[in-house]
Amino acid sequence: MTVLILTSEEDVTADMVVLRLGEAGVPVVRLDPADLTNGVALSGEYARGACRGRLSVGGRLVDMDGLRSVWLRRPGTAAARAAQPSAWLTEESAQALYGMLRCTGARWMNHPDAARRARYKPWQLRLAQRAGLPVPDTLITTFPQAAREFAGRHPDLVVKPVSGAHPQEPPRAVPTSRVAPDTDFTAVAYGPTLLQRRVPKRADIRLTAVGGTLLAARKPVAPDAHPDDVDVRFAPSNAPWAPAPVPPPVAEGVLRYLRGAELAYGAFDFAEDAEGVWWFLECNQSGQFGFVEMDTGQPIAATIADWLAGSGSPQAGLLDDEEFSGF
Amino acid sequence: MQPFTLNYARPAVQLDVTVPYAYDSGLQLNVLPDGRIAATDHATLRALGTTTSTAGSKTHFDD
Repeated sequence: MTVLILTSEEDVTADMVVLRLGEAGVPVVRLDPADLTNGVALSGEYARGACRGRLSVGGRLVDMDGLRSVWLRRPGTAAARAAQPSAWLTEESAQALYGMLRCTGARWMNHPDAARRARYKPWQLRLAQRAGLPVPDTLITTFPQAAREFAGRHPDLVVKPVSGAHPQEPPRAVPTSRVAPDTDFTAVAYGPTLLQRRVPKRADIRLTAVGGTLLAARKPVAPDAHPDDVDVRFAPSNAPWAPAPVPPPVAEGVLRYLRGAELAYGAFDFAEDAEGVWWFLECNQSGQFGFVEMDTGQPIAATIADWLAGSGSPQAGLLDDEEFSGF
Repeated sequence: MQPFTLNYARPAVQLDVTVPYAYDSGLQLNVLPDGRIAATDHATLRALGTTTSTAGSKTHFDD
């Protein structure tokens, strides 16, 4: 049984998992959907009440019935590198590939439907609340007056993109940023704005969840750090990430979250406050993990490889909680 | 008429880094010029930041 990895060639983080699978003797086929019709080929036949699909790349041919798992890591846009790419060809190729893969019994990390839903940060916040994770008070609005009233209740605020996406023309980054007390909120009317109570943090937490295995890492905030340095991705810090134990209530909440989101993998970001409370910020369903593994030595790649190579329920090890059915 | 959130945007850091490794379709891994597997060279990966959570990715926004 083969593990199928859908990702770009330059994804060296995926290499860490390919290596582990190779060491375990697990067959792997890796391809980028962007190469469909130009290096990647597929075929599926529906006949006599059955469906049989095949994929080929780089001289490897795999029967889709022989897939044990699919790792939807960082795939390119389907057929983006075809000889004559087009929006139509992309849609055709994506429908063919993902449609046929959905016909298999392979388990997914993560299933495309779950992955798509899990990217909605407003939905993440509500699911985290329902999972029992502390969520900082948050407002998403296009009403300037609502923003002013929220700022009145929470004088120390941050703003960040609702989607997590960054504008590209021209390329810009929008880090989580502190909002000054005398800010004019008029421009809130021109785009949905996510305002959140700033958590005065003593550490950033990155918790990587693989199935039921939780691996947390902690990066302390420097005592002389400026309070405006809110976003760990931009903060000037050389402190390494270090392994951290997961408080049991957080572990229970994270496992409930994963089950509610139907995710097999999630990279959770928390802010740890002065009392040691881990405040949920977001869960990246395809978050990076290589930098954490290299700092902490935590076996994240090996855990992912074990999950991909394993069998049984995709969410084995997660708490059973009917509260989330249909959420 | 600029949305409020974009008041906090800054120019994205353009990483014009040429990675020293290339994909080997036989191994299904990226390989350094001396034949070593790139993923085992943590010093290189740290220097390039290619496994890091970064803001402003053009293709993926959940890092």
